[in-house]
Amino acid sequence: MSRRLRVAVDTGGTFTDFVVLDESSGAMDVFKVPSTRGSEADGIVRGLRDYLERTGARGDDVVYFSHGTTVGTNAILEETGARTGLLVTSGFRGIYEVGEQSRPYGATTYDLFFERPRALVPARLTQEVPERVLFDGSVLDSLDEAAALEAIRTLVRRGVTSIAVAFLFSFRRPDHERRVAELIAREAPGVNVSLSSDVAPQIREYYRLSTTVVNAYLNPKLESYIAALDELLTQQGCERRQRFIMRSNGGVATFAAAAERSVQTILSGPAAGVVAASRLIAGSERFPNVVTFDMGGTSTDVALIEGGRPIRRMGGKVHGRDVLVPMLDIHTVAAGGGTIARIDAAGMLQVGPESAGANPGPVCYGQGGTEPTITDANLVLGVMSEENPLAGGTLRLDRAAAERAIREKIAQPLGLSVIAAARGIVEIVSVKMQEAIKVVSSNRGYDLRDFHLLAFGGAGAMHAAQMAEELGMRGVLVPAFPGVTSALGLLLSDVRNDYVASELSPIDRTDAAHARAIFERLRAQGEATLLAAGFAREQLRYECALDLRYAGQGYDLTVALDAVPDGPDALAATRARFDVEHAQLTGHSAPDEVVEIVNYRLSAIAAVPHASIASPFPSTGTLEAARLGERQTYFDGEEPQTTILYDRTKLPPGAVIDGPAILLQSDATTVINRGRRARVVELGQLEILAA
Amino acid sequence: MMDAVTFEVIQSRLSGIVREMQDSIFRTGYSTIIRESQDASCMLLDAEGNVVGEHVILPLHVAALPEVVRAVRRAFDDIVAGDAFITNHPYIAGVTHSMDMAVITPVFHAGTLIAFCGSIAHKSDLGGVVPGTAYGSARELFQEGIQYPPIRFVAGGEPRRDIEAILRANSRTPDLVIGDIRGQVGVARLGERRLAEVIARYGIDALLETFATAGVVAEKRIREALATWPDGVHEAESFIDTDGVTPDSQVRYHVRIEKRGDRIAFDFTGSDDQRGGPVNISPSLARGCCYYALIATIDPTLANNAGVARVVETTFRPGSVLNPRSPAPCCTYLATCMAIVEAMLVALSDFVPARRMAGNGGTGGISITGRRATGENFVQYEPIGSAYGGRATSDGVSGIAVLLSNTRAASIEILESEFPTRVRRFELIRDSGGPGRYRGGLSPRRVWEVLVDDAQLTCRGGKHDVPASGADGGEPGALGSLTINAGTPSARSLSSRFSGVRMMRGDILTLEKAGGGGLGDPHTRPFEAILSDVIDGYVTLDAAINRYGAERSRLTSALEQWEGNVATR
Repeated sequence: MSRRLRVAVDTGGTFTDFVVLDESSGAMDVFKVPSTRGSEADGIVRGLRDYLERTGARGDDVVYFSHGTTVGTNAILEETGARTGLLVTSGFRGIYEVGEQSRPYGATTYDLFFERPRALVPARLTQEVPERVLFDGSVLDSLDEAAALEAIRTLVRRGVTSIAVAFLFSFRRPDHERRVAELIAREAPGVNVSLSSDVAPQIREYYRLSTTVVNAYLNPKLESYIAALDELLTQQGCERRQRFIMRSNGGVATFAAAAERSVQTILSGPAAGVVAASRLIAGSERFPNVVTFDMGGTSTDVALIEGGRPIRRMGGKVHGRDVLVPMLDIHTVAAGGGTIARIDAAGMLQVGPESAGANPGPVCYGQGGTEPTITDANLVLGVMSEENPLAGGTLRLDRAAAERAIREKIAQPLGLSVIAAARGIVEIVSVKMQEAIKVVSSNRGYDLRDFHLLAFGGAGAMHAAQMAEELGMRGVLVPAFPGVTSALGLLLSDVRNDYVASELSPIDRTDAAHARAIFERLRAQGEATLLAAGFAREQLRYECALDLRYAGQGYDLTVALDAVPDGPDALAATRARFDVEHAQLTGHSAPDEVVEIVNYRLSAIAAVPHASIASPFPSTGTLEAARLGERQTYFDGEEPQTTILYDRTKLPPGAVIDGPAILLQSDATTVINRGRRARVVELGQLEILAA
Repeated sequence: MMDAVTFEVIQSRLSGIVREMQDSIFRTGYSTIIRESQDASCMLLDAEGNVVGEHVILPLHVAALPEVVRAVRRAFDDIVAGDAFITNHPYIAGVTHSMDMAVITPVFHAGTLIAFCGSIAHKSDLGGVVPGTAYGSARELFQEGIQYPPIRFVAGGEPRRDIEAILRANSRTPDLVIGDIRGQVGVARLGERRLAEVIARYGIDALLETFATAGVVAEKRIREALATWPDGVHEAESFIDTDGVTPDSQVRYHVRIEKRGDRIAFDFTGSDDQRGGPVNISPSLARGCCYYALIATIDPTLANNAGVARVVETTFRPGSVLNPRSPAPCCTYLATCMAIVEAMLVALSDFVPARRMAGNGGTGGISITGRRATGENFVQYEPIGSAYGGRATSDGVSGIAVLLSNTRAASIEILESEFPTRVRRFELIRDSGGPGRYRGGLSPRRVWEVLVDDAQLTCRGGKHDVPASGADGGEPGALGSLTINAGTPSARSLSSRFSGVRMMRGDILTLEKAGGGGLGDPHTRPFEAILSDVIDGYVTLDAAINRYGAERSRLTSALEQWEGNVATR
C-alpha cells in the first residue's frame, strides 16, 4: 500500500527529533535518534531508513521533507566555517575591524581583559578594491578592474574558498559588486561568492558587511551539507521537489535557496519551535497570546506571540555576530537541564551559566559528569525517576549519584538538607528563566496577565506551572508532544523569502509611484524565485513593510502595510500608523517631526499545504486507565507528598487532573503542582490553571 | 548570614527590577539623548543610599546616586511616600555634571523608609552659555547651566507645578526636559511597585537582609583578594593635554595607593591644584573611579555596591583638581575620570602584575557644524574609539571605546546621507600600537572631506601631546593628531581640545586617535606573533625589524614561506 508521508527532522545537540505524518490517515509518529555531530546527514538518513524498515513504508512514500539544522549555528560557535576572504572599498578596512566600536554592557564594562569575538576574516585575507559609490547611487570612482583582479588572485593564492564582497553604498548601486562577482567566477570558478548587495542590501555598512561575511563563512559548509543530504534522500527514493530547510525568519526555504543564504539558517531550530507555537496553539481563537518557553539541555529560548503572530526583528546579534536578516525575536538564556549548580568564591549558591551539556551531561547520566545540574536536582525531587529512562529507554538515571553530588557539593557546604539544596537549585534557575520571560514581555510593555506560558522542549513542562504562577500569567499550555514541538513546526511552515531595499527619504516627500515601483521590483524578484522553485502563482502572496524613523533617530521601526501602496494617501496612512506604533513601543510619538523611510521590505510567501494535525491521543478512555501509579515527590515542599503518575498519551479529551501529579510521555515530563488543575483541551494539548 | 537560596533568589529579583527600570527608561525616554546614546542609569538603594541593585550602563553613575540620597536626606527630614526629588548639583549632591539630572523616590514599608528607587540621566538642555549646556570652555560652575540642589519635584504624589515652571523657564528644550524627568519619576514608581511585590512574596526581613548581605559579600570578596596582595605603596600619574581654557596647560593627576592587610587607601594629594577650565571633578566622582579601577583589577563580575564603597579609603586635597572649591567648573568630567582611572590601574597592577595593562588611546570625538546649501544648520557629531594597551597575557584590543566610555561608531552611509561631508578613509593605523611583548591595540584613522563652503570644527579628544604609556619595558603608543589638509603645504595641525575652527569646502580633515601602549620588552615578543602582525599589516616590516628586533632575513624568508605555503593549499 502506498502512503504519503511528510517527514520533519530537527537536529539538536544531543538528539535528532523526527515527526512523521501520514497525510492520508493523519497518523503521526514521533521518535528520537542520537545526533551524529559532524556527519549530521548520515544520522538523519539512518533514522529515516530505520523508520521505513520498522513501519514497512518505502522511500518514495516520503513526499515532503522539512529540516531544522544546527550545522550553521555550530560552525559559527566553533569557528569551523570556510577560509573566507573579504573585498572592501579602498581605504575602508576599518569598517570590519572596528565594528560597532562599543563593548557589551554589564560586567564587560569593567573587564580589562575583554576580547572581541575573533574576526571571521582576518586582515590578511582582506583586500581593498579602488571604487567608490556615493549616497545617491552616483559613482565617484569607477571600479578599477585590474586592481580587483589582482586582489582576487591574492585571496585565491592565499587559499580562500569563499569571498565576501562589501562595498560602500552597494545597496544603492550594486554594479561594482556584481562586476567583481563576474571576475571571481572567471578567475576562480570554484570559489563561493557572497555580495553584500544580495545578502543584506541595506544602509549601515558595518552590519551589511558583517552579515555578508557570516554568509560567506557558512556557505561552503551549508552547501556541501545540504548537497549530501539531498543526495542521500534521493538514494532513499524520496520525492525530490518538496525538500525544505527552516530559516531564522520562521519560514522554510528550498534546499537550493537555503544553501545560498546560509546566514539565514542560524536560528533554524529555535525558529521552528516558535512557528509550531504560533500555528498550533496561538493560531487558534482560544489562545492567541502566548510566551513560548523552550527549555532544553543547555539553554532556554523564549519568544512572545501576540494575536497569533510571532514578533520578528530585522537583525541583531546571534552568537556574538551582527547579522542583518529578518528573524523571529527569540531570547536565549543559559539555563537548561544540564546547567550546573556550584558554590562560588564568596560561599553563595550559583546556578549557571556553565552547563554540563550533553557530554558529560548531568551526574545522573553516569557518563562522567561530576557537577550537580538541574536534571540531578529534578531527579532528587522526584520530578524524574530512575524508573522512567530518557530517550526511549536508552538512558537510565542514577538517583544515588545525583543525590551524592548535591549533598557533597551544595548541601553540606551550605548546611542544608539534600532536598532543600535541590529545591534551592531549581528555584534559582526558575527565577532566572522568569527574568528572561520578562525581558521579552513586561520589559517591552506587554502585560503578562494576558498571556499563557507555552512550555515545550524536554524540560519546559517540568518548571512551567510554578513559573507561570509566580509571573502572574493566565496559565500554562503544554502541546501534545513537548519534546518534538520544534520538529512539528517544520510541518507547519510556509516558504518565506525576504527582500529589502534601502533608500533614505522623508516619507512626506516620497512619491508614492516611486515607492510602488520599488515594491514592484522586490515583488517581481520574489515571484521569479518562487516560480523557479516550482510553486504555482496562485500559491504566492506578499507582505510589505516600511522601516521608518523620526529623522535623525539611530534606529528604525518596521511598520507593516496592508498592500503595496497605490496612492499618496497610503504613505500618509503609514506615517500615522508609525506614530501609533512608536507610541506603543516607546511611550511617546512626535506627529510633527519629519519621518524618514529607511528600508522597503517585502516577503514573498508560498503557502505550503499544511499538514492537518489531529489529536494524536485516543479519543476515548478513562483517567483511571491512564494512571501509572504514584511516587513521593518534593517539588512543592520539604515534606514528601504523594504524587499520582499518569501516562499522558492515554488521557482522554476533557480529562481533568488535580495536582500534585506528574504526566509521563516518551519525550517529556509535565509537572502539575499542588493547587493546580490540568485539563486536556484541543489537539491533546494540556492547559494548567489554578484549581 | 541569611540562607543562600533566598539571598540568590532575591538578588536575581533585584537585578531583574533594575533591568526592567532600565528598559523602561530607554523605551519611554523623551529625548533622543536617552533613547539613542543610552546615557542613563537606574538603581535601587537602601535607606542610607547604599546601592543594592544596579545594571552597569555607565559605571560613574553608580557613584553619584548614593551621594544624591545622602544630600536629599540632609536637606529633608519630612520625606513621605509619593515624594520625588531631583538634583543636578555636582557640589551639593555629587552629581556627575550638571547636564545629568538625578531623580529619586523613597520606598516605605509599614511607615518606615526602607529604600530609594532612582535614576540619573543626561538632559538635552538645562540652560547655561551654550545649547546643550556642556561648555568645554566654562570658567565657573554658573556657566554650566542652572544648578538645582535637592528639590522636591513631586510632593506626596502631587506634582509641583511651580518647580516644573522654573525648570521649563531655564531650558532651551523645556518639553524634552520635563518629559524626561517625568519619565524618570515613572521609572522610579515602577521600581517601587516591584519592590513591594518582592516584599509581599519574600517578606520585608528577607529583603532588608539581602540588602545588607550583598554589601557584606562584596566586601568580603574584595578584602580576601586584597589580603593576598603584597603590602606596600605604589604611585602613578597621568596627564590630560589641556584644561580647555588655557593653551598648553597639561593637567597632572597623581595617585598614591597604600595597601596594608585587607585595607587599601587611595591618596590623590599630589594631583594639580584646581583648574580654571572644566576638568575638575568632585571627590564622590573620583571615588567612583576608584570603585571602577578596583573592581576591574580584582574581578569584573563583582557587584559595584556598598561593599566596594566600604573598602575604598580616599584622601583628596581641598582646592585640588579632584576636590575643587565651588564654583570651579567641572562639566568635562570624563577626560579627568579616564586619566585617574588609568593612573590607578598602573599603580594597582604594581600589586597584581597579572592584571597589568599599558595605557590606552583615550576617548573623544569631533563635531562639524555649519549651514547646508538649503540654509538649514547641521551638527554632525562622531565619537571615535581608540585602543587598549597591551595586557599581561594578551595584545591590546584595536579600534574600540575604552574603560569608562562605551559609545557606538556612527555609520558612514548614514552620515553621508544626512550631512554635507564625505568620509575618505576609515582604517586602523599601522604601527600605532606601542611595541611590546604584548602589543598595544591599533587606533583608527578617519578622514573627512568638507562639502560646504563654511563649517566649524570642534574637538574633544586627548593624547596629542602625551601618549598612552608603555608598561614593563613596552613602548608608548603612537600619539593622536588632528590635521587639516595633511600632506599639503597648507597643512595645519590642531590640538586635542578646542572649539570653532573654521573649515572650507574641499578641506580634508584627518583624525588619528592615539594607539595603546605596549607591555613588556618588544624584543621578547614571539617571532610568530611579529610575523603574524606583519602578514596582517598591523606592523610594518621596518618596525618589526627595528622596534621588535626581528631578524630581517628570517622574517623575509618566513613571509615568503607563508605566501608559498598558502599558495599550495
